[in-house]
Order: sequence, then C-alpha cells, then structure tokens
Amino acid sequence: MTGDRSNDDADTETRRGLLRAAAGATVAGATGTAGCLGVTTPADVAARSEVSGNVGHFVGPGWLAENRDETVVLDARDAKLFREERVYGARRVPLDALAARESTDEGDAPDADAIAAAFGEAGVAPDDDVLVYGASVGSRVTRVAFALAAVGHEGSIRVLNGGLSGWNGRLGTGSRDRVPPTDYEPDPAPSTWVTREWLADRVGTFNGDGPGLVDVRVPEAYLAAAGADALNDDHDRHGHLPGAIDVHWVGNVAGRRMTDPGRLVRLYEVEAELDRSETVVVYGDDNVDPTSTWLTLKAIGFEDVRLYDGGFGEWANVEGDRGRYPVETATNGVLETDGSVGGDDGGGDFSCTG
Amino acid sequence: MTRGTEGGDDAPARGGDRDAPSPDDPVLAVPCEGDDRLALFALETGDRLGEVPVGRLPVHATTCRGRTVVATMGERSVTAVGPTGEVTRVETGVLGPSHFAAANGDLYVSCSAGDALAVVDPEALTLVDRVGVGAEPHELAVAPDGDRLYAGSRRDGVVDVVDTGTRERVGAIDTGPDARVQGVALAPDGSRGYAVDQRGARVVAFDPGGDSGPPAVGASICAEAAVGADPYDLVATADRVLVPGRGDGVVHELDRELEPIAVHEGFSRPVDTFDVADEWWVLDAGAPGLRSLGGAVVETPAPGLAATPVGDGRLAVSHYDDDRVSLVDVESGPVWTADSPACPFGSVVV
Repeated sequence: MTGDRSNDDADTETRRGLLRAAAGATVAGATGTAGCLGVTTPADVAARSEVSGNVGHFVGPGWLAENRDETVVLDARDAKLFREERVYGARRVPLDALAARESTDEGDAPDADAIAAAFGEAGVAPDDDVLVYGASVGSRVTRVAFALAAVGHEGSIRVLNGGLSGWNGRLGTGSRDRVPPTDYEPDPAPSTWVTREWLADRVGTFNGDGPGLVDVRVPEAYLAAAGADALNDDHDRHGHLPGAIDVHWVGNVAGRRMTDPGRLVRLYEVEAELDRSETVVVYGDDNVDPTSTWLTLKAIGFEDVRLYDGGFGEWANVEGDRGRYPVETATNGVLETDGSVGGDDGGGDFSCTG
Repeated sequence: MTRGTEGGDDAPARGGDRDAPSPDDPVLAVPCEGDDRLALFALETGDRLGEVPVGRLPVHATTCRGRTVVATMGERSVTAVGPTGEVTRVETGVLGPSHFAAANGDLYVSCSAGDALAVVDPEALTLVDRVGVGAEPHELAVAPDGDRLYAGSRRDGVVDVVDTGTRERVGAIDTGPDARVQGVALAPDGSRGYAVDQRGARVVAFDPGGDSGPPAVGASICAEAAVGADPYDLVATADRVLVPGRGDGVVHELDRELEPIAVHEGFSRPVDTFDVADEWWVLDAGAPGLRSLGGAVVETPAPGLAATPVGDGRLAVSHYDDDRVSLVDVESGPVWTADSPACPFGSVVV
C-alpha cells in the first residue's frame, strides 16, 4: 500500500509539475526558469512582445488579454493564414481594398469610400476600438492602421506587437466568424496623407525649410543604382524626390516586433534629423510599405506624419511637364538600418506578410 | 611677372601701395569649390579684391543682366551677386546646379543631381520654371537664334532639346546605349550638333533641327567617331571638332562630319581647347603648361583644370589642385599668379 501510495504520490507530483509548468507559462517566475533551461515558451514570446514606456499605438499581448472584450480585432494576413489560425474572434480585412486609391486633380489619394466599405464588410463601426495584428508588425498591418486613420476612424487604433506569434490566448480556426456588416460612413482625414501636387508645390524645401521627407525604399531604389534588381521596371524614372532621405522601412521592425523604441528615436531624430514637431511625409514605391514608417513615427511621438499615397510610382511616371516633378539621382542621403521582418507564412515577400 | 603669392585668407584684400581698382577695371570672378566662395581678382594685376560666400561647391559662374551668377553644385539654388553687391539665393528646387546658358531672356541652369533644368529670370532673380530632361543634365548649348537649347544627360544618354519660347522639352537625340553625355556643342551656324559620350569614348554628331522643326524624341545621331579615353569637353568650329581625351593624353581633330583629320598626341591629361591668338591651345590638367596644336608651348605655374579666354591673347587659368589662379599670355607666359581659396574652377570676367 505504501508503495501504491508512493506511486500515486509520485504520479500526482508529476502531474502537478506538468500543470505548474503549464500554468507557470503565465507567470513571470516560470518564464525565467524556462529561459534558463533554454526552452522558449509562449509566455516568453508574449513577454518579449510587451510594450512599455511612452510608445503609442503598439501594445503587447497582455493589453489585448485585458481588453479583448472591448476591442475589435482585425487580422491583416491573407485568407489562408487566417483560416489556419487566428486570434479567436478576429475578423479578416482585405489589404487590396484598404490600399485602394482614387485619382484626383491633385494626384492619387486614398479611396475613402472603398476603404470604409471594406471596414463595414468586416463589421467595424467608426467608434470601435480596434487592434490590428498580422504575422509580425510589418507594413501589411500598418496599412490597416493607416486606412483606419484615413477614413477618420473615431475609436482607438492599436497594433499587436509580436503579431500572432506573441499571442498566447485563445485561438480560432476555420472559416470566418460571421459578423454583421456595418454601414461605415467615412469622414476622410486628409491630414493623414499628401498628394503629388502638395509635394510639387514644396520641391526644394524638404528636410530643409519645409517638411521632412523620408523615402522608405531600399537604398538601391533610392539611389537609382544602375542594374539593381530593386529598380522597378514599371517606372519611367528612377531616383527619389529632391531632398528626401532614405531610411528603409524594415529598420522599424526587429523580427516580429517593433524595433527598440530608443533605437528608433535615435534613428529618426538624431541620425535622420527629423523634427518631431514638424510635418514629416513618408513615401515608398507603393502605399503599403511606407505606412510602417508612418505608424512608427507616430508611435515614438512625431506629431504630424503623412503618407504620400500615390508614392514614387505615381511621381516617376507622371505625364506631361516633369520639370514640376523632378527626381534626384546623384545624392546620397541613406541611413543604414539593420531591421528584419519576420512572418512565417511561406510567402517569401516579407513586405506584405504583416 | 609673378605677383600673386601675397594672397591667403589673412592677407589684405589689396596691396597697400596700389591704386584702388576702378569700377571700370575688369574683375576675374573665380568660384572656389573647396571653400564655398567666389574669389575676386583684378584681371590686369591679379590683386585679390575680396571673396563672396556663395554656398556649397561653387563650380561655374556667368554674368547676366549685370549680375554674376554662381552655380553651387552642393545646393538646390544658385547665388547671384548684384551690381551693388547684394547676394541673392535663387532656388532651383533640385540639387546640383552646374552649367549655365542664357536663351530667350532666361537663364537656364542644369541641375546635375536631378533631371531638370531650372529656368531663372535673371532680372527678378526668381525661379520661373523647370524643364524636365534626361537625368543628370550637364553641359548646355544654345542655337544661334536662341530658340532652342540642348542639354546632355549623363545618365540617360540623350541630348534633350528645349524650346526656349515655351520652355518645354520638344525632342531628344538618343546618343546610344549606355552613353554618358558630358560635353555638348553646336557648330557656330547651328547646322550641326555634337555630344561627347564619356563612357564610350566617342563623339557623336546630330541634326539639331532647323526650320523644319526639332528632332523627335528618340531621334538618331548622324555620325560618330572614336576619340581618346575619358573625353569630357569638346569644341565645335565651322569646320572642325576638337575633343581632348583625358585618359590617353590625345586631342582628336575631326571635320564637321566627324571624319578624322589628326590625332594630337603627347599631352598628359588634356581637358579643354581654346582659340587664342589664332592658335588652338590645349589646357592640360596633368602638366604645368599650355600647348598649341601647332606645337608651341607656354609654361604655366601649375597644371590647370579650367580656363577662360579674357582677350588680348590671354587665358585666366584655374589651377584647381594648387589653389592658385593665373593670367597667362600665350606669347609671353604667366602675367600674374595669385593664391586663391581652395579648388578654383570655372571663372568669368565681370
């Protein structure tokens, strides 16, 4: 009997140990122990994704766990990944619709009606508090955040640091959860973007007497490096807008999380010499990647950050009098960055994996 | 006679015993790329008259409507010095102003770090327009009647044609794949245009378009010839085209259809040719002297990178690597030599 009791006790202790270990995934002490053993638990990942300090928009899994019931969660990944696994209750939003543009006399601008319709289809209301996540915190996610801002979203806009891998709460899978659509009435916020003509009126002033201007593309595209793969064959011209500095947007991201905020402040305020109290415009080839820098700058305290939604694709191919829309080639305002964008979707193009 | 070593930053602007310069006396204005200044010298004596801060990397200067205008390649502006000494920055919007050309009442400036020509009203000193051209425009040439302007593109290998009446690009000559166009010139009667392809070590001829209209976009060249390695500038006369090849130390002499006439050898690094005192003189950036195509030689204080004919058989020579400027008489040698701010370059007589 003693032996039986011993076996029972041993089994119980073993079971308790397993349960403690599992339960310990949500307490700080267990996280430390697991780390010492060289084992990474979901709690480790979640803990690393927490956001502290004076950082806007980006929140960690802990925030989502505490505010899950009051928050509309949007998944920025593609449909396949969404079906495989997602934050329970999340709603997928289609990137194409959220990157829609309309052509105006001033140049391309976000198509507020198309964007609002996409949010309405996902059951988002203008006053919802929204959290967006993806596989990481890449530009796919930040485009959703920008799209919300562009249609004048009244509720809060947050991004899940670490992406889905940082979330150790309840998961959903399978087909999309049915959510009644809403009639999302946009209230366009043109202060979030600029147009081709807005920029053309200020040529010669960027990063000088006028607004800050950041080109987020790879340096080879910015420099119009002859023969570089980075040059877009669809562009009539290569180079960058006069006076722009180049900070590749990937520097905003470290794996699946935002780069250390202190490093970001040094990068943009000290090295790039941008003024957080002045207007800063960001642009890329398209209107997705630069939203990473748009949100990052806002997160670290820049007060007036705007996206050139038409992007270099519009500027380089403008018809007619190109003297009003010059590009520069023989300048080098490149700031080196060392970021990388994680996201295990097998797509190979991290710029759009979220 | 050598007088000019009394200069330097701490030296008085003028020698104390000399007469004050008269406003009627010509002044040699020299952009000094290394010190961001326009240095002023009395043309006849070499006395250093002063300096004007003009912005980063000044390389060339011109005069227009009583103003001296300086191309500052490190700025998105040019600097104008007015008759009463006032200094005005004129925005170009695009980096790299390098060469000037006056046409139809406007002053055109190639913005060599971008893809535009800035058009400046030389009277009002304002930017009145920009004309989009091939990337990294460099030298400019103007048709004799001033109606058309030709700009060579160092990146796109074209010579763009601009209607100076409408300030629009109306045509472009394709000089060939991978061409890097540096020098551009027209024959004096405007009947033939020429461009130097630095990368391909060749010179091409093109039809600049007459009364029948400008060349179309993508127009072809009508002749080409190989020249010495690393050519940069050229000169076109009524019946000759001269192209120094800096890398080979030769000057190619060609007829107007680019058929070879002679290859002049024995130079170190020839950079430009000048018609002075009925002779063609070659400026050499690798040797302290001028040598004519006929074989005459005159020593200079140092190698020269740029020079300006100033009349009476003389050249004002900028000794870029030696921070000196000299006035050289092709018959008798240096008239004066003066220290200058760093890296003197393309001067102008005011």
